[in-house]
Amino acid sequence: MLNSMKALRVTLGTMMRKKVTAEYPKEHLPIQDRYMGFPALLWDDVRDEPFCTGCMVCVRYCPTQCMSAEMTDNTQFAEGDSHRKKIIKTFEINLSRCILCGICVDVCNFDAIEMSHEHERSERERDANRVDLPELLKMGTKFQKDTGWKQSKPNLPSPKERAVIAEAKAAKEAAEAAANPEPEASAESPSDSPPEATAT
Amino acid sequence: MNEFNWTYVGVAVLGLFGLFSFLATVVLSLTWYERKMLARIQMRSGPSRVGPHGLLQPIADVFKLVTKEDIRPTNSSGLLFWSAPLIVFVSAFLVWLTVPFADGAVVAPQELGLLYIVAISTVGIVGLLLAGYTSSSKYSVLGGIRAAAQLVSYEIPIIVVVLAIAVLVQSLDLRDVILGNEVTIGERVLSFDGQGAIPFAFIMPLGLIVFILAGLAELGRTPFDIHHAESEVVGGPFLEYSGAHWAVFFLAEYINTFVIAALTVLLFFGGWSWPSPPESVFGTALEEWQTDALGVGWFLFKTYMVVGLFFWFRGTYPRLRIDQLMAFGWKSLIPLSFVNFILMSIVIFYEWPLWVMTAFSVPILVLGLYIGSRRTARLADPTTVQMYRRARREDGGNKLIPEGSGD
Amino acid sequence: MTDSGITTNVIDKGQGLADMFINMGPQHPATHGVFRMELALDSELIVDATPHIGYLHRGSEKLFEHEIYSQIITLFDRLDYISNFNNELGLVMAVEKLMDLEVPDRAEYIRVILCELNRIASHLIFIGTFALDMGALTPSLYNFRDREKILTLFEATSGARMMHNFFRVGGVKQDVIKEFPAQVATLLDELEAGIDDADKMLSLGEVFVERTRGIGVIDGDVALDWGVSGATLRASGVPYDVRVEDPYSVYDRFDFGVPVGSAGDCWDRYYLRVLEARESIKIIRQALEQMEPGPIQTKVRAIARPPKGEVYVHAENPRGDFGVYLVSEGAESPYRLKVRPPSFCNLMALRDLLVGHYIADSVVILGSLDIVLGEVDR
Repeated sequence: MLNSMKALRVTLGTMMRKKVTAEYPKEHLPIQDRYMGFPALLWDDVRDEPFCTGCMVCVRYCPTQCMSAEMTDNTQFAEGDSHRKKIIKTFEINLSRCILCGICVDVCNFDAIEMSHEHERSERERDANRVDLPELLKMGTKFQKDTGWKQSKPNLPSPKERAVIAEAKAAKEAAEAAANPEPEASAESPSDSPPEATAT
Repeated sequence: MNEFNWTYVGVAVLGLFGLFSFLATVVLSLTWYERKMLARIQMRSGPSRVGPHGLLQPIADVFKLVTKEDIRPTNSSGLLFWSAPLIVFVSAFLVWLTVPFADGAVVAPQELGLLYIVAISTVGIVGLLLAGYTSSSKYSVLGGIRAAAQLVSYEIPIIVVVLAIAVLVQSLDLRDVILGNEVTIGERVLSFDGQGAIPFAFIMPLGLIVFILAGLAELGRTPFDIHHAESEVVGGPFLEYSGAHWAVFFLAEYINTFVIAALTVLLFFGGWSWPSPPESVFGTALEEWQTDALGVGWFLFKTYMVVGLFFWFRGTYPRLRIDQLMAFGWKSLIPLSFVNFILMSIVIFYEWPLWVMTAFSVPILVLGLYIGSRRTARLADPTTVQMYRRARREDGGNKLIPEGSGD
Repeated sequence: MTDSGITTNVIDKGQGLADMFINMGPQHPATHGVFRMELALDSELIVDATPHIGYLHRGSEKLFEHEIYSQIITLFDRLDYISNFNNELGLVMAVEKLMDLEVPDRAEYIRVILCELNRIASHLIFIGTFALDMGALTPSLYNFRDREKILTLFEATSGARMMHNFFRVGGVKQDVIKEFPAQVATLLDELEAGIDDADKMLSLGEVFVERTRGIGVIDGDVALDWGVSGATLRASGVPYDVRVEDPYSVYDRFDFGVPVGSAGDCWDRYYLRVLEARESIKIIRQALEQMEPGPIQTKVRAIARPPKGEVYVHAENPRGDFGVYLVSEGAESPYRLKVRPPSFCNLMALRDLLVGHYIADSVVILGSLDIVLGEVDR
């Protein structure tokens, strides 16, 4: 009987403690930084286009095959503004099938997809949780803003930038070439050039 | 008062109606109280959405139950099936007619109040049996028979403890239990104190413990609630009832809970009597209706505390199996209740002072607890589980050897 | 083995005529998952019991043959869905053994800490649901509150509360956050208090002891014949723990005890798990001290292609001896990947355990075996 009284003491003690319930939906429990919610596509502010090039690696490796995508030629590349030759055209994820495993993020080469912090998507119809590209980009930009997401590596140069760089490089080389004859002209002045070296 | 007149009938109906409304409100408040208390023990919220602090939750529950579909098994007889909840409810309700809330606040005072209470509460058992039988499901029959066996067995300790109280005040009237009694035998006038001075819990602690445990088993509350346990295979006699009819069973169960708590307070904790007269507490002289109202309030407060104790037990203990339950009742509670009765009779017969009864009861209670703990300690022997540690075997692998044994 | 002097509450095993058949159907609050048990009763007494499984079969082993190893880890998470890290460990150990990879120390310590935390979480669920089967409502809520703290830590580490997909062939996916050691240390203190609470409420309480002592006794030899493993086997007096007999990962660097029972009944199986949870806390503390900074994954190709061969590894899951048998043809998917689930083998001993007891005991015995249907049915 004494052990039963000990049990009563334990429950008496917990009667005095604060409750651990969070009154959802007024209160939400905090989400950790690494939380893997539904996948979302990210937006490249520098180039003003999605990071995703439509390479389909994530679509291939998804265990539940919940994604489908199409790629197209990137007009911005044709104009020389972006380094991405191809860009995503359509992208659909069936969020009801996604198992939130994060494999798509692991295999992506481009920082294009991330597991957002979104986890509250209930719909009234069975198939209503299929999201298309604009919706995914919206989820992605929200994620980027809320978490202060930074690119993991800087963008490659676009054609225009490459042209600029090539020009700059050519200019620098021309400047160096232009500057170079002066050291050769001053080779006649007594400097440390041995007589054999003047033979070209 | 042996003539039939309509005013008497009218007053009776009004009284019954008032009692019924009062009990219905009490039952609704008890459901809220139970859920909030369990939630507090389990560190969660309990009802909190419907109304402030969930106070309107019982009303939502009643609304849900009443609007549910009535289902009756085809093979059962309609009249018997629907009458089972009524029998249980009416017998529970009739007990309340003699319970005094304050001096003068009784619906139908009876001189044989205690006898009437134990007799009427037994009628409820018939209702349970009927519910089990008419459900035409073998599981309900089993559950009904089990419930009936449990309730009948635990009536005995209750009756014997009530008899001991009756011996103590030499009367079966519930008001005399609080107010005291005078008996004339020949030329001698013997007076027996009520609970105004000392609550009977101090005189008969053994009786109190037996009454509470037997009362819990009568109600079918944890740890004795196997007959309607949710996680067992057999659902119990209430299995086939739905909606409003199940609500009647539910109502009857809570009324019974409240009546056992009220009886505990009346028989052991002084009923409506204050520790010192209310006038001295409030300073001024009070009118009779004010004294009565204070008495009722104090009585209800104490009853709610005892009911809280029942809910606390529900939140803490697992439930006993039916054969263990019966063994506990027949082997422990009934002998203890008889011992209590015999001691009480001896003390009253020889006109010894009442503290002698406490002096007898406490050692017996302690001895009983000790014997119970010894028996459980023999079973709950944690040394059947030993800690083993890793040791090296000859061939280089590992083996496990008991801790403390040398390598 | 059951010579502790405790008489069992069994009435003449196997005698009695079965005149009633009860189906504890797939939907039942007490069967720990979708599991069907047919009981043949002689009024209250169980004369025969037939378990029926397969209600949760999802074709895992067929899926294994068509998915690459990084996808199979997600499936292993979902086998025994209460101890996810322990399952993942089984798979990655099998592939690493076949590929002869050496896992960096820091990754091994992270794995051990997470697996042992998962063991504590699993045992907390067991204690709670075991008490709930008997009608004690509150221990399960206390234990779920403690488990919630563990799951929050998992979320901070791996990104998910339950289906982590965190272990990789050759290590783990990411390093732990820098607050991890401090968080785990505080968590362990709280868990110790929580386990003590559950212990105080239940273990020696009169009603609990009455319900579990002498119930469901199984002899050690009979248990070994059925292939029972884990706490169920140790309760019957057989001192077998894979972490000691056949150490894997870095378990041979820790000093911990293994509780072994002698009565083989439900109480022993319950109390063993309480003690095991406490021992896990000790292991985690030692691992935190021994952990040093370093790499967290061996350099390995993104798509693992183990060479041709076959391997069998086993680990000590909270439920018992979890085995993985891998046959590889050198491709990116296994040729055959078979899982030896501990719950499946433990469940097969159910008939021996149940016959001769009352119906009310059947729920208690089934609860004490601690099965998870995801594992049994795969």
